[in-house]
Amino acid sequence: MSRKSCHLPRRTFLNGMGASLALPFLECMGADTATTSRPKRFCGIYFPYGVSLPKKKSEGSEWQWFPDTTGRDFQFNKSLQCLETLRKHVSILGGLSHPNGRKIGGHDTADIFLTAAQLKGGQLKNSISLDQMLAAKLGDDTRFRSLSLSVDGGVGEATRSSTLSFTGTGQPVPALHNPRIIYNRLFGKEDKTLLSRRQELQNSDHMLDLVLEHSKSVRRKLGKQDQEKFDEYLQSVRQIEQRVERSEKWLDVPKPQIDASGLHLEADDKTPGELIKTMFDLMFLAIQTDSTRFLTYQMGNMNGATSIATKFPSLLGFGKSQHSLAHGWNKPGGSEALGKWDRFRAEQLAYFLQRLQDTPENEGTLLDHTMVLYGSSNSNTHNNNNYPLVLAGGDKLGLKHGGYHRFGAEIPLSNLFVTMMNRLSMPTASFVDSTGEMSELTV
Amino acid sequence: MIPRRLKSLILPMFLLPGTSHGAIDFKTQVYPILEAHCFKCHGEKKQKGDLRLDTLSTDFLNDRAAAETWHDIRDVLNLGEMPPEDEESLSFDELQFLTGWITKKIDSVIEAKKRTEGRVVLRRLNRNEYQNTMRDLLGIEMDYVKNFPPEGLSEDGFRNDGSALLMSDLQLEYYLEAARKGLAKAIVTGPKPKTFEQKFEKTVKDKNRGSNFLDQDQQFIAKLTEYPSEGEILIRAKVRAKFVQGRGYPQLRAAIGYRADTRAPREFFKPIDVTSEDWQVFEIRGRIENFPLPSKTQSKFPGLLIWLDNAYAEGRDKPLKARGKGKKQKLPKGPLNYPQIEVESMKFIGPIFDQWPPAYHSRILIRSKTRTDENTDARTILKHFMSRAFRRSISQEETEPYLRFFKSTRPKMPSFEDTIRETLAMVLISPEFLYLLEPSGASKRPLSDWELASRLSYFLWSSMPDSRLLRLARDGELSDPEIFNKEVTRMITDKRSWHFVEQFADQWLDLGALQRVAINPNYYPKFDESLKDSMRGETIHFFGELLQKNLSALNILDSNFTMLNEPLAKHYGLAGPRGSTFERVALKPTDHRGGVLTHGSFLLGNSTGEDSHPVKRAVWILDRLLDNPPADPPPDVPNLDSTDPNFAKLSVRDQLAEHRKSVSCNECHRGIDPWGIPLESFGADGLWREHILRKKTKGKGMMKLPVLPQATLPGGSAVTGIADLKKHLTENKKEQFAEAFVSKILTYALGRRLELVDKKVIKELTSKFIASDYRIKELIHIVVASEPFLSK
Repeated sequence: MSRKSCHLPRRTFLNGMGASLALPFLECMGADTATTSRPKRFCGIYFPYGVSLPKKKSEGSEWQWFPDTTGRDFQFNKSLQCLETLRKHVSILGGLSHPNGRKIGGHDTADIFLTAAQLKGGQLKNSISLDQMLAAKLGDDTRFRSLSLSVDGGVGEATRSSTLSFTGTGQPVPALHNPRIIYNRLFGKEDKTLLSRRQELQNSDHMLDLVLEHSKSVRRKLGKQDQEKFDEYLQSVRQIEQRVERSEKWLDVPKPQIDASGLHLEADDKTPGELIKTMFDLMFLAIQTDSTRFLTYQMGNMNGATSIATKFPSLLGFGKSQHSLAHGWNKPGGSEALGKWDRFRAEQLAYFLQRLQDTPENEGTLLDHTMVLYGSSNSNTHNNNNYPLVLAGGDKLGLKHGGYHRFGAEIPLSNLFVTMMNRLSMPTASFVDSTGEMSELTV
Repeated sequence: MIPRRLKSLILPMFLLPGTSHGAIDFKTQVYPILEAHCFKCHGEKKQKGDLRLDTLSTDFLNDRAAAETWHDIRDVLNLGEMPPEDEESLSFDELQFLTGWITKKIDSVIEAKKRTEGRVVLRRLNRNEYQNTMRDLLGIEMDYVKNFPPEGLSEDGFRNDGSALLMSDLQLEYYLEAARKGLAKAIVTGPKPKTFEQKFEKTVKDKNRGSNFLDQDQQFIAKLTEYPSEGEILIRAKVRAKFVQGRGYPQLRAAIGYRADTRAPREFFKPIDVTSEDWQVFEIRGRIENFPLPSKTQSKFPGLLIWLDNAYAEGRDKPLKARGKGKKQKLPKGPLNYPQIEVESMKFIGPIFDQWPPAYHSRILIRSKTRTDENTDARTILKHFMSRAFRRSISQEETEPYLRFFKSTRPKMPSFEDTIRETLAMVLISPEFLYLLEPSGASKRPLSDWELASRLSYFLWSSMPDSRLLRLARDGELSDPEIFNKEVTRMITDKRSWHFVEQFADQWLDLGALQRVAINPNYYPKFDESLKDSMRGETIHFFGELLQKNLSALNILDSNFTMLNEPLAKHYGLAGPRGSTFERVALKPTDHRGGVLTHGSFLLGNSTGEDSHPVKRAVWILDRLLDNPPADPPPDVPNLDSTDPNFAKLSVRDQLAEHRKSVSCNECHRGIDPWGIPLESFGADGLWREHILRKKTKGKGMMKLPVLPQATLPGGSAVTGIADLKKHLTENKKEQFAEAFVSKILTYALGRRLELVDKKVIKELTSKFIASDYRIKELIHIVVASEPFLSK
């Protein structure tokens, strides 16, 4: 990987709140846009339990998440109204789902949102997620190959994972959840000198080599079952070796400097409003600084029993927990109550998309070069069909927006993944159970 | 015993009510049903949908395609899609029988595929064990796991299950970072750092805050311009209390941070009760790097701040004020009647050392007196450190890779100490440190003494074995039954067994639920969030009391005492302790308390934050106390169709009765709901209630519904209220509870899920446990002497 020397003074302050840089980081850094590939990004955002879907003309039907009519002239109902100003850059997709998710428990489907997998065997093994597949192939040009975020952080437990990302062997990729830690990883100042960091990385490299070599002899002493478990360790050592090499390459490129004063880095599960917004701010900054091009964010999972996001609506004044809102959609006043929560989430999305849209990049905007998929793996509680989905951005990558499309049950959601991959410079014939592309969405 | 999560995935329907456990003969019992209802379209003549049943293999284990077809068949049967409407449908009994048979076959395949032959799986240290181990190994009290991703739970709800504890490159990256940070502090270089010392008698004024008299608003604030950036520090405060009639002790709490405004980054020390009106000196210790420090180069807020405040107000019945979106109410004028603390002076000293270099440094950095050969020193240091880190003896040969690293790195590093830090960091990312490694072959073997020491210490202390255990293991004495028993007794008595109490109680009883429910202030305006900590404390201290006093585990079902501190006693309306420490409080029947079912932790954690949640409470009882969890709801389960406009006016009990009218819901819920309904007398705040508050469907305000705690349990016992329920549990369910409790402790002790092959052992342990009069301490002795615990 070759990198031009830095044309910017080392202290380039990007404002945490507004985009004070007219151009994204790479261009300012003098990267030659003619020779380096233009950034093409994917961002997957998930929310749990589905949405409000009252019947037409029933009480609260204005809170129906999907528009009433399909095509380009559709009208947003109340919960997605906030996307009106971005209308030209979004598509609403209805009727889609992962066929492999239709058979499993109503709360078990979040894990396969980006993998489409049939969870296998006693350990419920997953397969690679869309973001990780893209990152493995296309993630070489940024400091971080990918960035996985979630409200709960870590990996959680199978079928209720607290991450959307899975590696090539179906292992969950731990998600980061603490805004300060994410900020420090992306933009934090190093307290050590360049020299000692270089030495440290060299040492890491060396010790990982030796540990790996030595571990192979440890492995031989283990029982068969333990060996399988131990291979997780060996794989992690190999992966971290690659990461160390990557860090060495990036050592001379200073991390982008962001003024954190507008960010609520102290936000946690007790202040969900700030927390959700800060996560979107951090994702925006990661994109703006071209720190990574493949991002996922799980805004809660369906483990009502352990997800800290369960209580967010109650704390934010929506009256009930996430799970109760979702279950209560057909109780009197329930579709409105859930609809308002749907709207709140959509507003967060709109805020994020608008920031991307407001930032120019390569004769377009950041949004034009970023495909954002936002949605859930239930239409409403326990119903694993008809995912509510918003596809946004990527206008300059070959996506065509502005419509509400409904698909029949024979069309797997993976067809969308294939459509996206082919426009993100990753020629792909199929993804898990796909049967083709979606011409409705392409130019 | 099949984990709930899997049940829901593979068998989306149910609990089979009263399925007989006898073997079913396919030819004579299943085949005829299929023949009567299915073969016409899916048989020899026709194969609609390409499906032929008369020749479909029943070898679920070896014919995966067939197994999946059977699975699909069961789904369409359950969903009523087959037989089609124009054909004769299966009778209820036939349907139950057929789907039940398929389910059992699938279950047995899952079991067979998951089998570990009852052997403990390789497991890495979890977050908590890693933290404790690093602290004990390096001798430095610091937060090693601050940046670590949170740990997932196993399917049985435990955090120490080897198969659920995954490794990832991110995890490994943090291990390396934590090792380097810890070693940078544990191995010191240079002369003893300068100690800063400053005494403050007057507080700094900050707007209206700042006083030598600490109450709910006033704090004592000291500003330090000179302070250390690392090392152990000491805050010495001379204070006295001013008591108030009818209230408990004030609580002195220190905090360190910077920037004196509402967004002050600061961290608190644990509060201390001030129990005397005479002057007393309190010493508060900590490592300063665990606190937020101002950036020395470019801080807008220079200087370090130390606060002393009175934490008494936390968790107390505060006057109503602005909360969230609720109504705003003004604070009453004048001082609140809270106990006060008067500060005479506060002294800051740091860093402090017992000696230089500190003892923790010398324990690691053993150098020969002559200091001629660095390589020899490195080898000695390594051998010693590795033996403690790997929890076993280390051969010369095993130090080789590490020594190789030392030798090749030494020329590039400024000092011997720097190189040793890096070399030991390599030890700390090695699998022998991060995992409890137990080599094994084809057949089971007894544990070595070293392995035994680790199993015991991670079970009872959540940390590495101490030097005594390691010495006994080295000398091969630990497996001597007499010594072994003495050691187990010592370990339970040792204060480190608190880790077992806390971890096990927390995971088994799911105390984390408290943090996942937000109390709605419109329903419970007086509830203070910090009460949740006290509720957690009640349950953990209660379990601790049962263990340490060797009491019967049946106290968990019902007891005549509980463990309370002042805030929680006040909340419950009971007379009790004056301070923040938990004390044993005797209960009368009229208190309606006793046993974990009356603990706030359970009642609140399994509520909606507005009202009780009888289904959650019921599932908790079935899962946690009786080890008989119901399955998750199936896919596409219909929602409650509450077209009845009066639905919202019904009590939860009646709503659930409505719910059970639907056949598909009733199947499971008739076995679930009755367990939660008797607890209806307790609100989401864990308090006894005479009526249920519910928001009016139209207009503002609340309506009051009656509490109706009558239910009929599966099996036909009618119960009314908590007293009856506890009576039923203690009289009719104690053996089942005993077996559940044994299973949970054994799961935690082994760090793996239990399987069918363990059934026999569980039965044996359970009868021993019952014979010991259900005593928890005895049970620990029984578990550690069991075959699964002692073998690999």
